[in-house]
Amino acid sequence: MPLGIIFKRAFRDIRQNLVTHLMTTIVVALTCLVFIFFSIFSLNLQRIADRFGRELAIVVYLKKDIPQNKIPSLYQKITSMKEVEKVKFISSEEAFKRLENYFKDEKEVLEGVDPLFLPPSFEIQINRAVYNPSRVRAMAKELAQWPEVQKVQYGKEWVDRLESFSEAVRAAVIASAVLLLVTAAFVVSNTIKLTVYARQDEIEIMRLVGATNGFIQGPFLLASFIQGVTGSLVALIVGLFCYKYVYGIIGQTELIKSLDLQYLPPSYMAVIVLVSGFFCMIGTAMALRRFLKL
Amino acid sequence: MIQLFHVYKSFGGTPALRDVSFRVRKGEFVFVTGPSGAGKTTLLRIMFGAEKASSGHILINGINLGRIRRKQIALLRRRIGFVFQDFKLLNNKTIFQNVALALEVTGANPSYVRKKTRQALRSLGLIKKEEAYPLQLSGGEQQRVAIARAIVKNPLILLADEPTGNLDPDLTREIMVLFRTIHMKGTTVVVATHNRELLKGTAIRKIYLEKGRVIKED
Repeated sequence: MPLGIIFKRAFRDIRQNLVTHLMTTIVVALTCLVFIFFSIFSLNLQRIADRFGRELAIVVYLKKDIPQNKIPSLYQKITSMKEVEKVKFISSEEAFKRLENYFKDEKEVLEGVDPLFLPPSFEIQINRAVYNPSRVRAMAKELAQWPEVQKVQYGKEWVDRLESFSEAVRAAVIASAVLLLVTAAFVVSNTIKLTVYARQDEIEIMRLVGATNGFIQGPFLLASFIQGVTGSLVALIVGLFCYKYVYGIIGQTELIKSLDLQYLPPSYMAVIVLVSGFFCMIGTAMALRRFLKL
Repeated sequence: MIQLFHVYKSFGGTPALRDVSFRVRKGEFVFVTGPSGAGKTTLLRIMFGAEKASSGHILINGINLGRIRRKQIALLRRRIGFVFQDFKLLNNKTIFQNVALALEVTGANPSYVRKKTRQALRSLGLIKKEEAYPLQLSGGEQQRVAIARAIVKNPLILLADEPTGNLDPDLTREIMVLFRTIHMKGTTVVVATHNRELLKGTAIRKIYLEKGRVIKED
């Protein structure tokens, strides 16, 4: 059957039952909106966790008695690791200077202390492009096993905690997504059922004059897909306005600015729209299957 | 064109048709008659694929109805016109839309649908009423709309279930003339009626049903 006829019939159905379709679209929009808020929170938390992890440096403390001639080869070895962006060698003297700077006016507390008492170290910056918490963890473990290394330090606990929290939020988002989409599908399928009830005579006559199931179902499925897509688009627009409004209030502080919060990426929005349309269509197909005894 | 072999049909243990066998040739005009409850409507519904026979075989234009899929039944119905006693018109649609529906379901292009629908309405004298709604028409006119819908797709077979059941004698005659005209154009016509007056003085073949059995043919 030509698509044009399905479109024409679907739009005619929507026009004839505008209020019902509008109410359903609003319910779908509200459902999607809840999911969108969850998603904004989860995605930004993930971004913060990623960014925080990327900006962490691994500090490799070497043994104090390490021979000077071994340092260049260790430097080369670390630089050759693909996770490594930049390596800086901090000698014992430089470390002491940093400590002096840290104490500033009270550096007299360091008087009489051996300037070589601090161990030499390497400060490693992780390559952002290949950042992955588990890889960083593995790398730190590997470095700690080198005989020249005394200790490896990085914000392990922070990264782990942030990561597990953002994992938990992501799981909550997925669970809410399934729940909300099933709700949307249920609501849309019920609206379509009402429309089918109202048009029972027409459907019966269509069957009697030779309409295939595809011809009968097509407009209903398209109408529900349109409801799903429209509802999610409305939710995305409302969500964007809400985000901008809230960001306008809280986004002035340096802390929030530094977090570089963002709205949902375009690919994520496209997935929301398509999945919403698809779920509404599935709900309707199931309702029609039972109702039309297909 | 239509062949029935030992067809039985029962509803929850109550027999509606018993061992019905007959054949209707291409281009033939046949009356199926009998008192109310004889099984006329069930017989027509089985021939139309709206009911399944409990046993036996029904061949329509060589197609065994017991062995075809649901989609094929829909396609077969596009070759069969059915006129119902209660007209089965959609009151919220115009006469034009009611008739056009039979072509729209086939996926025909809109200009063809318009042309053929107007042609059918013209042949039944309804062209001036194309924008009217069924409830604005008389019973006879409504039945003519139902006939227009049945013939708009040039069916091979036209089945009519008590097409004059709700009409007065003048309108009954008018509708019968229409059926004869359609038959003369080559369509196989089967009319179910309990109205004996309709059968008087015609040389048309008649199949008599009683309690679900064929009791006589002439």
